[in-house]
Amino acid sequence: MIDLETLIILIVTATIMLIILTYLEFRKKPKKPEYITKELLECIKCNYRLEQDFEPGDFISMYKRKCPRCGGLMKIKAIYAVEKSFKHHI
Amino acid sequence: MDNIDWPTLIFQMIWIFLLILLFTGGNQKIQMKLWSIDIRNKLKIIRKYLEDDQRKIENYMRNLGMDAPSILVKRIINYFTIEPVDIEPTDIIKRMDHLIQTSERTIKKIIADQLPDVGVYERSLVETGLAIISVINSIYKVVLHYLLTSEKEHNWVLLMQLQLIMPQILRLVETYHESLDPFLHGKPIGDTAGAYVAYRLVEEGEIISHKIVEDTSIFEVRLDDRRIYVIKAKGPGSNVGRPGIVLAQLVEELKGNVDLVITVDAALKLEGEKRGEIAEGVGAAIGDPGPEKIAIERATTKYGIPLKALVIKMGLDDAINAMKKEIYEACERTYEYVRKLIKEMTKPSSTVIVAGIGNTIGVP
Repeated sequence: MIDLETLIILIVTATIMLIILTYLEFRKKPKKPEYITKELLECIKCNYRLEQDFEPGDFISMYKRKCPRCGGLMKIKAIYAVEKSFKHHI
Repeated sequence: MDNIDWPTLIFQMIWIFLLILLFTGGNQKIQMKLWSIDIRNKLKIIRKYLEDDQRKIENYMRNLGMDAPSILVKRIINYFTIEPVDIEPTDIIKRMDHLIQTSERTIKKIIADQLPDVGVYERSLVETGLAIISVINSIYKVVLHYLLTSEKEHNWVLLMQLQLIMPQILRLVETYHESLDPFLHGKPIGDTAGAYVAYRLVEEGEIISHKIVEDTSIFEVRLDDRRIYVIKAKGPGSNVGRPGIVLAQLVEELKGNVDLVITVDAALKLEGEKRGEIAEGVGAAIGDPGPEKIAIERATTKYGIPLKALVIKMGLDDAINAMKKEIYEACERTYEYVRKLIKEMTKPSSTVIVAGIGNTIGVP
């Protein structure tokens, strides 16, 4: 014989366990990292390197801007994506 | 009524209800309904991706000057190519090549007719963008077909299999959905790895000659005291070219006087393998349906030329999305590896062919 109080306790316990399991299941899902595309510029004269955000239409080997150090032309050396939060070195 | 033990009665009722469900197959119907709801929810996500991507590409084409891009989108995303008959294998490669080329040329012509004042670069981005939408549309239609069929036939095994595979399908669709952005902006993707390595050889070497055959660039370069022919798709648009056919033609032009052929490509990694890992092997590293690969194999076999393959490992999401820094670094390592391999396997004054396989988007 099960009394009403025990039945309610059973149902409440089962509900709490379900909620905890659902929460743990959702927490397990790893977050997808966000990426941002950068381009690496290199001066053809003094080899000075500079990293900046990618602009649509840019491509590797394109002459982009003047070198802030020597005034020579800077060529796009590489285009790559890096993690948004990731601190990287050139 | 006062003597009724309600909790026990409720328990008994639940048990009887469960038994009835079990014997009448009702539990299966409930399970089928749950699976069906889950698949429909995921299908809604796929539909949303499809509509978003369609809108993006239509806006892109509108910006290029097209008045009614939706008609073109509808036409291209339902375009299909029927595979050649394979129970009679004679000439299958020729037939397959013919069908692939007809299909590609037709799509290019349809787009060129609709966008006559637009450059080859932008048109190539539109072509690839439409190809991506076409893939998502096909997946959506196939999944919907199996869902409706299994519901109609009450086929719970089919529905269960579909529900189990849905997370994988959704991930695949997400990958294609995310790849539209790099293609519409002209960013190099992971698959550009082979073309980038080829470009680096051209950049470092002394260019003797350059010609373009069938959307494929052939550079004759002098590097490390060797004559190196570098083959890659013509860039910087979204293009894979015809490296296999062009390589075979080049070998014939050189009358087989080639000391080494190296193919460089991106390869799908196995789960557990590291992104950007380099592997060396023998054979033609090219992932086409057949005609390009067989052309390389036949040409090198005819003249007994060693055929080496270098691959850069990556996942599908890396391969068709903006090139990640790890892959760029792997490309630089592969470039050094190619030079080392050439020095190891050939003597000075030798003739070598290096084919950088893959989409050359963002690389000239």
